[in-house]
Amino acid sequence: MHEISYQGEIRLTRYLNDSGEPLGEMPDWACGNQPWVGYYQQMVLARQFDTKAISLQRTGQLGTFASLLGAEAIDVVCASLMQAEDVLVPYYRNHAMQMIRGMPISQLFLYWGGDERGSATPEMGRDLPNAVPIATQCLHACGVATALKLRGEHQAVLTMIGDGGTSKGDFMEAINVAGAWQLPVVFIINNNQWAISVPRSQQCIAPTLAQKAIGAGIRGEQVDGNDAIALHEVVGQALERARAGKGPTVIEALSYRLSDHTTADDATRYRPSDELKAAWAREPVARLRNWLHSQGLWDEAREQAWQTETKQLIESAVATYQAIEPQSVDEQYDYLYAECPPGLAAQREQARIRQQRREQGGADHE
Amino acid sequence: MKYFKLPDLGEGLPEAEIVEWHVQEGDEVEVDQILVSVETAKAIVEVPSPQTGVIAHLFGAAGDTIHTGEPLVEFAGGEDADSGTVVGQLSQAKSTESQRESFIIGAAPSSRQAAHQSTTPAVRSLAQRLGVSLETLRGSGPGGRVTAYDVERAADLDQSFGAPEPLKGVRKQMAKAMAQSHAEVVPVTLCEDADIDHWPEGTDITMRLVQAIAAACQAVPDLNVWFDGQQLARRPHSKIDLGVAVDTEQGLFVPVLRDIGNRSLDDLRDGLNRLRADVKARSIPPAEMQGATITLSNFGTLAGRYASPVIVPPQVAIIGAGVIRRQPVAVGDEVRIHRVMPLSLTFDHRAATGGEAARFMLALIQSLSE
Amino acid sequence: MSDNAITLLEAVNLALARALEEDPNVVLLGEDIGTNGGVFRATDGLKARFGERRVIDTPLAETMIAGLSVGMATQGIRPVAEIQFMGFIFPTMEHLVAHAARMRHRTRGRLSCPMVLRAPFGGGIHAPEHHSESTETLLAHIPGLRVVIPSSPARAYGLLLAAIRCDDPVVFLEPKRIYRASKTLIEDNGEALPLDTCFTLREGSDITLISWGAMISETLAAADQLADEGISCEVIDVATLNPIDHATLVASVSKTGRCVIIHEAPHHGGMGAEIAATLSEQALTYLQAPPRRVTGDDTVMPYYRYEQLYLPDVDDILIAVRETMEYSG
Repeated sequence: MHEISYQGEIRLTRYLNDSGEPLGEMPDWACGNQPWVGYYQQMVLARQFDTKAISLQRTGQLGTFASLLGAEAIDVVCASLMQAEDVLVPYYRNHAMQMIRGMPISQLFLYWGGDERGSATPEMGRDLPNAVPIATQCLHACGVATALKLRGEHQAVLTMIGDGGTSKGDFMEAINVAGAWQLPVVFIINNNQWAISVPRSQQCIAPTLAQKAIGAGIRGEQVDGNDAIALHEVVGQALERARAGKGPTVIEALSYRLSDHTTADDATRYRPSDELKAAWAREPVARLRNWLHSQGLWDEAREQAWQTETKQLIESAVATYQAIEPQSVDEQYDYLYAECPPGLAAQREQARIRQQRREQGGADHE
Repeated sequence: MKYFKLPDLGEGLPEAEIVEWHVQEGDEVEVDQILVSVETAKAIVEVPSPQTGVIAHLFGAAGDTIHTGEPLVEFAGGEDADSGTVVGQLSQAKSTESQRESFIIGAAPSSRQAAHQSTTPAVRSLAQRLGVSLETLRGSGPGGRVTAYDVERAADLDQSFGAPEPLKGVRKQMAKAMAQSHAEVVPVTLCEDADIDHWPEGTDITMRLVQAIAAACQAVPDLNVWFDGQQLARRPHSKIDLGVAVDTEQGLFVPVLRDIGNRSLDDLRDGLNRLRADVKARSIPPAEMQGATITLSNFGTLAGRYASPVIVPPQVAIIGAGVIRRQPVAVGDEVRIHRVMPLSLTFDHRAATGGEAARFMLALIQSLSE
Repeated sequence: MSDNAITLLEAVNLALARALEEDPNVVLLGEDIGTNGGVFRATDGLKARFGERRVIDTPLAETMIAGLSVGMATQGIRPVAEIQFMGFIFPTMEHLVAHAARMRHRTRGRLSCPMVLRAPFGGGIHAPEHHSESTETLLAHIPGLRVVIPSSPARAYGLLLAAIRCDDPVVFLEPKRIYRASKTLIEDNGEALPLDTCFTLREGSDITLISWGAMISETLAAADQLADEGISCEVIDVATLNPIDHATLVASVSKTGRCVIIHEAPHHGGMGAEIAATLSEQALTYLQAPPRRVTGDDTVMPYYRYEQLYLPDVDDILIAVRETMEYSG
């Protein structure tokens, strides 16, 4: 005889259709001015930043850059709902979150311009720097959450990962320990359907990625990642639960990577063009603008004004970025250890000489 | 309490049944004494005691099954024998090893001054082939490194004149001390003759000199001082400890005659004789050659008139006494033949002035003229 | 606490207890370290004494232990994590290399990673496969990661305290073959030993023997025998493999002109090669003979029946020293 030991279900939350029209009756909290206009403005800023970063990269003024195109709603809503004392453990596609949490745009350019001082920005507080190795940030988030818990701080930790990253052991180990220890972590999966060239369908046979949470015994759910209103509800609740000591949540936000993987990638080699075209019809910025228009919260004049304002903001950040003096060669040696060991100090001395020699051009054959 | 747990009596046997105990609680047992017979899936096995001790408790009775790793016997006293590993065996400390460790943090003091000559392996091998001792060479290369040229030149010299004799012992010390003095001191020498014609026959010349130096130091204390050339500081001495240069076959010794200002002549003579004898017998302790405040070199017992003897820091003066000779001197308006002692005073001009040295010389002459 | 003769393992326990007591930010975590006190008993009694919030049994996942420690350390906690055996340290490598070792560097000092990863290592205890390797060189190659190996109870106590107080990530490798092999008197006075220096265990003038970890026992035994033959050996315990104190090694070998480097790890690309290379760069003109290595061979660490054949022994050291002493250019 058989019985059912466990049965799970994964909820999907969405309020707006692709064009920004309500899918049903909107909840009371969704009506009114706040916070939608602010969200929209940040999403526009994020997209402008993204566009500018790509053009700086294409003109040799920035290194390889991972675009956020298509994930603006996820980043903006998550960061806006976080409190200053919450901790962000980002991956490498969270520029908008970092911007909203106080990182000057010029510092974001500095980071992607190949300078570690971007991650030294004091406004980042105790947020971690970008995690480049896939999925490692999920475990760091658990470590940060453990630290908060040990200290009795009732704050939340939010970390983000792509759909590809959920195939890694680090993610599985992280949600497992977060469940076992009931850590205050919110795991956001930005399921943008592509891990470089590998589509979501080849990543995992499970119909949702959120259901991996079921195996770890924690709450998992899906949300439309292009729907700022749905994100606001789902992420807000997860952060509240975390702060209240009610444990971790896995949120799979369904989105679409409208960009290449990075500026070093060419998605036309593997991504069907009609799929991309269809995805543009669902993208988050236009969807929210349509909703704001329909609610009378936004109009063409405000749109023009805001587009101009953000453009100026970005341009001024670029100017600031370009005026930053290069770091001294010493910085490559001074932060490895609390105190520079003698062997490394000797190498630092040689590096200073090497730098001078290279600046003067060529080896000194004396 | 210490437990003996049922070991794996074969490969991977999980349990054994107790057939018969051969010991009782309270028994004293020896190592390897049979404790119990057990039956495993393979055989009846006799299990010996792993240690000497008193049995505190037996686990189980005949017919009981014990699993591998479960306690079989408890020994009285001792530490918990929990080996603390899920895998493998750790070797255990013998209780006798319980000293405190001593070790040096970082390099040994002797490592801070490298002893050997610096050279490349190729040159080392060349020196070995040519029979040249590297330790005798002064390297002409960067940082004093011995070069192939240095080795070849030494080999040529050896072939022409034989191998050089390296300095040893006192002679080596002298070479070092003199070189160091030469590098550091700023010496000025002042010469004068003392008319000693009135000295009776048989006067103890050395003792007169010792007395006169004591008198001069008391009259002009500026030369009975130590000088620190690093700190540029003077340390005046009220006590006069006189270094007396003694020539031997092995080399130069300078034993110290203590407190010459406050001792009787006989006492000083006895002391000097004893020091000289000790030097000759090579039994003088190093302490007897340290701490001079001023030095006398009485080379007049051999040959020589004036000299510029070398001051050994931290002293600032040395007096040289030459061969006493008869010579014409002006006495009033007449020329007479008198016995005269030539004197040289070398002083360190960093520590004393020419005037101080001249007044010292004057006091010395006056004392000798008395 | 007063003087007490204890083993290296007990010294580790003593230092952990001291660290837990003196700094509320120190937290131990690992598999089986709590109620069970660790499979070797290194954390014995600590959970009972300091509670389950300070001495934490983790799920069985080494990557998680390392990643969690990184996250904790960035927030000012000082995690001291145990990896049960060095053979299981490999899943932690990504977090050590890509995060712990460079957290301060890549944030230019905004965050740091003061964590310790402890792991028993080395052969000679008849352990199963994968439990006996010495892969310290893999770790010592990583800039920003300190690698420390004690070779006696006193150094285990002093170096572990230093590692925990250090603001850099430290991998602390414990030579399990000598965990309980000897006892020495240790005063539990909280005094740390420096992490950036070698230790001269025996002063000598003819040849320098350089080693670390469990092989120090064989090295000292060889030095004793060689003294009877009239060969005066200086014995140096390197102790911290990264950043290594080359100055002490160069000074000693410049004095003696000869050296033998002894390690359990494989020959190829081992720390012995790094030390020999540095001696040839900095002490070449003092060398009377080539630096010689006595190491494990470039094979897989054998399963226990042949591990004694693999491990260098006193005779191997004696032969290498005699040949080095007799060497003539």
